[in-house]
Amino acid sequence: MFTKGALTMMRTIRPRRGLAALILLAALALVVLSVSVLVGCGSDADTAASPSAAASAGPITATDDAGQRVTLEQPATRIVSLAPANTEIAYAIGAGDKMVAGTSYDDYPEEAKALPKVGDFANPSVEKIASFEPDLVLAAGGIQAGLRSKLEKLGMQVYVVDPKTYEGVMTAISRLGQLAGTSAQAEKAVQGMTQARDEVQAKVASLSRPSTFLEIYSKPLMTAGTDTFIDDMVTLAGGANLGATAGSGFPNFSSEVLFEDDPEVYIADSGSMSEPGAIAERPGFADLTAVKSGHVYVIDDNLIARPGPRLAEGLQELAKMIHPEAYSAQ
Amino acid sequence: MTRLARTNPWSGIALAAGIFVTCLLLALAFGPASLSLGQIWRQATTGPAQGDLANAIFWQIRLPRVLLACLVGAELAVAGVILQDLFLNPLTDPYVTGVSSGAALGATVGIVLHLAQLPWITVLALIGGFVTVGVVWMAARRRGRIDVFVLLLAGVTISYLASAVVTVLMIRAGQDMHAIVYWLMGSFSGRGWTEVEIALIAVPFMIVPLFFAKEMDILLQGEKRALELGVEVERTKRVLLVTAGLLTAIAVSVCGIIGFVGLVVPHIVRLLVGPGHCRLLPVSLLVGASMLCVADLLSRTVIAPNEIPVGVVTTFVGAPLFVYLLRRGRKI
Repeated sequence: MFTKGALTMMRTIRPRRGLAALILLAALALVVLSVSVLVGCGSDADTAASPSAAASAGPITATDDAGQRVTLEQPATRIVSLAPANTEIAYAIGAGDKMVAGTSYDDYPEEAKALPKVGDFANPSVEKIASFEPDLVLAAGGIQAGLRSKLEKLGMQVYVVDPKTYEGVMTAISRLGQLAGTSAQAEKAVQGMTQARDEVQAKVASLSRPSTFLEIYSKPLMTAGTDTFIDDMVTLAGGANLGATAGSGFPNFSSEVLFEDDPEVYIADSGSMSEPGAIAERPGFADLTAVKSGHVYVIDDNLIARPGPRLAEGLQELAKMIHPEAYSAQ
Repeated sequence: MTRLARTNPWSGIALAAGIFVTCLLLALAFGPASLSLGQIWRQATTGPAQGDLANAIFWQIRLPRVLLACLVGAELAVAGVILQDLFLNPLTDPYVTGVSSGAALGATVGIVLHLAQLPWITVLALIGGFVTVGVVWMAARRRGRIDVFVLLLAGVTISYLASAVVTVLMIRAGQDMHAIVYWLMGSFSGRGWTEVEIALIAVPFMIVPLFFAKEMDILLQGEKRALELGVEVERTKRVLLVTAGLLTAIAVSVCGIIGFVGLVVPHIVRLLVGPGHCRLLPVSLLVGASMLCVADLLSRTVIAPNEIPVGVVTTFVGAPLFVYLLRRGRKI
């Protein structure tokens, strides 16, 4: 309550810079303290480390998903995002006004589309990024792994957002809130995600896990294996991910085995460009249990594969698809 | 085997046919679904039926996929023989004509326009391939003659051009990019009877070259010599080049780009039965079908329920075999 008040005051009055910084730091310290008490799961070393740092007006430090410590002298004011998910996180933690550039794939929230672009997700331009003089660059993992050293050589601070689970996204959101000096709103986003997860868990935890196939693409047939977001999401939503039997990552999946294992729920990721009606009409599919019982769905892949705050929405949608009985009962 | 095949013209073909039938039966008998041979026999003899998953596995998944692999293998092998011998260039594979890149461009347009649900991607790929055949053809035509070297260069150029457009579309495609990449990799996964029907269009084109076997033999000695010996060189080239282009376009449109088969099968078969087209063409057809059929069998089963991309298997199986035959061929 206290922290909310401090933040509203800050927003409405907008005092001079020095004062603002002081109030901000105080608010930050309070937020982080109260959150670590409230949430109780403050298992991260950083969460414990940063309040004291903030209180003493020193630098802010957070460990990113690549395991590197990122230290900012003061909260970030010019942020460049190199992934649509990072852009979504930035807006969700209330740092949207600090965003100076994004990628050409950024499509959410609506304001993000208007941001200047530094290229696409796979190939952002280092020169372009540097030209915005960011004090924080939010990079992604995997394909952007080589980018970090290039940007750091140019004197930029890079935070790699590369969470592997729903939980991991909440951690990333929370840490970015610290770096951007918007912890209060970041924690609200985290709370939203926690609440969505707890709600879903309350509904599905006691139910049996129907075998669920998640189609990433149809030609070739691809699914999400272990160590993917989607696997984590399907599991949290109370399903048994059939794709996990084919290994990690995004494996090709044998159509024959799909038929043999005959999943109870068939969900196509929207990136597969499939439609429920068309899936049912594929040769032989009419005999699948999921088709016969009408459990064929398409889900917006941005809600289940993009590591941002909208995963909460995706989780709820998945749960409704996998356990419609738990939702129709009410 | 080599000596036997060379002494009797039919023994090579009979042997290849035997190998093909064996491969076909193996591919039908084994798969990642644990169906027993008895079950498969029962499904095969009862015919397609509704409401039985084992039946769907055999009739809707395994059979069309095996047939498609055989058809595509045969198409690529025959196209490879024609093009290598017309261009008198051992490095030629069916894709140098630009047809595959043209087909890829067609498919990419289909993917970007989100036409995934219909066989439109396949149809657009087919159109892209056919249009490329026409463009390359017109580029190489001068005063009623086709210069095969200009045709080869034109093909390579068109190929680069189409690939460049595909790359641009990929960059623009954003989140559809992965779909384009999967298409380009080539696969038989998720294909069914629709693709088999399209691939069947190619059957007449696989037979046409057989009628030109004699002409092709003589053309190996060069166009001048062939003219002197009374071969209708231009007509032969015209028919064969269009045939090879259409075969490639059809093959690529149903399964994407699968490498190595069209390059290596003709060479392997030449080492086994010699360069005479009466045997080279039918044996290549059968060996191409067998090779892709077995490659797909391995791709489906080795790491099931995961699958290895079939192009990887063709290369892993074909490369050592080819090197072995090259070394062995030299000794004879």
